[in-house]
Amino acid sequence: MAVQVNSPAPAFELSGVVGKEYRKIKLSDYQGKWVVLFFYPLDFTPI
Amino acid sequence: MLGAQVLGVSTDSKFSHLAWVNQELGELTYPLLADFTKRVAKEYGVLLEKLGAALRGTFLIGPDGLVRAYTVQDLTVGRSVDEILRLVSALKTGNLCPAGWRPGEPFLPPIPKNTGK
Repeated sequence: MAVQVNSPAPAFELSGVVGKEYRKIKLSDYQGKWVVLFFYPLDFTPI
Repeated sequence: MLGAQVLGVSTDSKFSHLAWVNQELGELTYPLLADFTKRVAKEYGVLLEKLGAALRGTFLIGPDGLVRAYTVQDLTVGRSVDEILRLVSALKTGNLCPAGWRPGEPFLPPIPKNTGK
């Protein structure tokens, strides 16, 4: 199912790096805020 | 970014992310997420299956969790941060923003409710 404008953003929970620490982050952690979610292909390359 | 939360995602591991932060990026002001199983990239329609990596997709998600805008481009072209800021600004106003609208410029008048009937 593709993402559509005006439809709910697919939920996710992922491990990641915040500052210099590992943390789990859910999209729903940011409910009530605008979110700019960006995908990029590969670490160690210019975004 | 205009009070919005920025989240970066790739299919790299969290270990790779931290190494990148430590070796090149320095202090990053937003989280880098590890979509190691590629499930999220696939769900958002940005996964290049052969490469196992995500296209440069940018999704603007409102406070209610709805996708309000997105752009996806191929690997060879970087994003326009300026355009992302313009879109977030425009969406946050809740007004009708004409083509090429920039923050501070006038909005279009609201469409009357009986239009199109």
